[in-house]
Amino acid sequence: MALVVDQTTDTQCVHCGLPAPVPSDAEQAAFCCIGCEVAHSALTHAGFDATYYALRDTTTVRPSASAAPSDALLAELDADAFLERHAQRNADGSATLDLYLDGVHCAACVWLVERLPFVMPGVASARLDLPRARLRVVWYPEHVRLSAIAQWLAQFGYAAHPKRMAAQDARSHAERSLLIRTGVCWALAGNVMLLAFAFYSGLDSSTEASLTAAARWVSLALATISVTYGGQVFIRKAWASVRLAWAVRSWRSLHMDLPIALGILVGYGHSTWATVTGQGEVWFDSIAVLIAALLTARWLHLRSRRLAGEASDRLLALIPTSAQRIATDGSIEVVDVEALAVGDTVLVAAGAVVPADGIVTDGTSTLDKSVLTGESAPEAVAPGQAVAAGVLNHSAPLRLCVTAVGEATQVGRLLAWVRDNDAAPDHTTLADRLGGVFVGAVLLLALVTAAIWWVIDPSVIATHVVALLVITCPCALGMATPLVMAVSTAQAARRGLFIKHDAVFQRLATIDTLVLDKTGTLTEGRMRLVDWAGDAEALDLAAVLETQSEHPIAVALVEARRPTRTHQPMSYTAEAGAGLHGWVDDHHVVIGQPDWVATFAALSDAQQRQLDAWALHGFTPVAVAVDGQVRACCGFGDPLRADAPATLDRFRQDGYALHLCSGDDSRVVAQVGERLGLPADHAHGRITPDGKRAFVCQLQHDGQHVLMLGDGVNDAAALQAAEVGVAVHGSTTASLVAADVFLTGSGVEALPPLFDGARRTRAVIRRSLTLSLGYNVLGAAAAMAGLVTPLVAAVAMPISSLAVVAFALTQRSFRFTSTVSP
Amino acid sequence: MTILYLLVPLALLLAGAAVYGFYWSVRDGQYEDTETPAIRMLLDD
Repeated sequence: MALVVDQTTDTQCVHCGLPAPVPSDAEQAAFCCIGCEVAHSALTHAGFDATYYALRDTTTVRPSASAAPSDALLAELDADAFLERHAQRNADGSATLDLYLDGVHCAACVWLVERLPFVMPGVASARLDLPRARLRVVWYPEHVRLSAIAQWLAQFGYAAHPKRMAAQDARSHAERSLLIRTGVCWALAGNVMLLAFAFYSGLDSSTEASLTAAARWVSLALATISVTYGGQVFIRKAWASVRLAWAVRSWRSLHMDLPIALGILVGYGHSTWATVTGQGEVWFDSIAVLIAALLTARWLHLRSRRLAGEASDRLLALIPTSAQRIATDGSIEVVDVEALAVGDTVLVAAGAVVPADGIVTDGTSTLDKSVLTGESAPEAVAPGQAVAAGVLNHSAPLRLCVTAVGEATQVGRLLAWVRDNDAAPDHTTLADRLGGVFVGAVLLLALVTAAIWWVIDPSVIATHVVALLVITCPCALGMATPLVMAVSTAQAARRGLFIKHDAVFQRLATIDTLVLDKTGTLTEGRMRLVDWAGDAEALDLAAVLETQSEHPIAVALVEARRPTRTHQPMSYTAEAGAGLHGWVDDHHVVIGQPDWVATFAALSDAQQRQLDAWALHGFTPVAVAVDGQVRACCGFGDPLRADAPATLDRFRQDGYALHLCSGDDSRVVAQVGERLGLPADHAHGRITPDGKRAFVCQLQHDGQHVLMLGDGVNDAAALQAAEVGVAVHGSTTASLVAADVFLTGSGVEALPPLFDGARRTRAVIRRSLTLSLGYNVLGAAAAMAGLVTPLVAAVAMPISSLAVVAFALTQRSFRFTSTVSP
Repeated sequence: MTILYLLVPLALLLAGAAVYGFYWSVRDGQYEDTETPAIRMLLDD
């Protein structure tokens, strides 16, 4: 049976450029979906279309079709308690708030969103931070309501979510303060170097005694600020590692910062002594440059991780900040979500997001769990069933008895885990393993050098020991790994690959097994009309009826048939889990599960066989009856992503073992596996979240190194268990999941660039480490032999660091065109 | 060379002004988002 994905041609959607069905009327513009059409008409209506389409990047992402904010979100945005808590009030009566905007992606979006103050009186300013998808809006609450702003944004397809302040601001604050520290230290280093030029160019204490002394004292003053303000970062860490090493009696706990701190302190102490006594060399310049260079490496490191961390905050932004609590007397009050307690009863309106984990006590509805699970089909809930915070309540109001709030909810625990992971020190990188050995070796060599020169000439011990400490300063070694990784992480982030831990680069080398979640990574993650048979007119009538529903099958049918507005649905009734029936013009239309439709009209044998064939292939069969006669049958499914087979073929050829592991129906998973050419025992369906984790652990137990690719919270445990967990941005969800790597792309085709980039990065790191270790070994030998003066050491040290910096900055690890064959 | 007694403090003062300017620009958040301003300048209001 030929399975055609849909009836598209090479016509392009006017709004987003994706393939679109040919419009029935040649004069009409073509659209791929309702979302694009709505956005296009809003732009035209506002007179923004000319500039927007001129600025737009044509390779854009489809706008989210469901940008329309729910009433609950709008009410939340206007609540005084919300403004009190999350917005910042300014002196002139205006308020400042950050909003996350889903769907911003190019220059046209910046232009459009920043039109806000010009079209809406009462909005003082709107600034969009494109890479972080964050809008900072300043408005006068007494003139314009925040909900009006959200609605204005929504008409163009931008869904706004209020941002929680705490975690992100702490991160941003740490980065700013380190940047200031770095800048100040570079200014100090620059000035100390200028003064040092005077010594290098022949300022001599014998001829210009007072000038020399003055220059030294000024250098001492500047270097003192540099050491106490900038150097303390390393000295504190070094001291902490010494205390830890002492406590656990293991020199392996000694941190790389120890020789750095020791070099800084010995050099500074020696130079200070030389300044006070007026005899001997000073190395204030090299100390100041060393501190500034190391701080720069650290700042780059911190900054490169920021985007990844911020992406995880977006998940938090999806949970509402207020809830409707039902008091014992039955009245409903709106309370802050943090004021909820276990045992409270809350009301969740249709279209609202569940604010806390709970058990349904009253009402039946369907839930869209795609944010949490990535699974696209809505699930029916009835009293007695558990519901997790963050899921969307689709069809009818629900009453919940709260079982967990805030941090204790599923989402809360997940976010806590992400945060802990961010904060946890990373002992697995090569440089850190080398660190302890290196520190011990340098300290031992310093002792040996002192001993040798004690025998030969005690008067030059200090000179040679300091030369050794300065030349072996692991500045290049220490900088090599973090700097190369920082640069390559930043390059990767620009391509939409957010790498949270440096260890990922090393771990990717050992991976030999890929475990893939089906929904959203291999398939498009949303329902499409895959095939149909019967009467087109009946299908169109059904599509008109389905415009009334938000069920994914309804959305898919409306998208495929694009009903014209000449028909109007008169009335309709939805039967949960079965379908819809109602009147369109004068026709009674029934659409839904074949068994249910059969209670209205009899199915012929041919139709029944057709529907059974679709079901066998893992598609959802749907029948349409008009005026008591079954007139059309359709199969709905989630089609494979276009690039998935080629990508998987490449991995298979490279010798990776591939497994499919999904919570979806076994038949569906088996069918996807078959189309991808996977052996039947490698496609596993109906796997619970715990089952996925167990599966990954089992593979690891068998000695395999596993990369898990998933797109939902239900994959979180497996992502954590795997050596490398990769989360993707599902095409229907804004979900971000705890994982080592987060891909803003939504499919498996983003994996090869990740593997290639990591391999190149490792090569650059190996080169840098070889260079810096070679330099250190040569330098140490020369210094011990007394061939190097501290001045030469101070010049050689920055040169080796510069070489490493050059390596790091000129690498092109992630700057390449996609290697996936088209 | 005695002019250095005047020039060096002067240079330090200038450096101090630059450091203050840098401090201000960091606090102002100018390094937070280095991509959007590049786009924004292309848009004529």
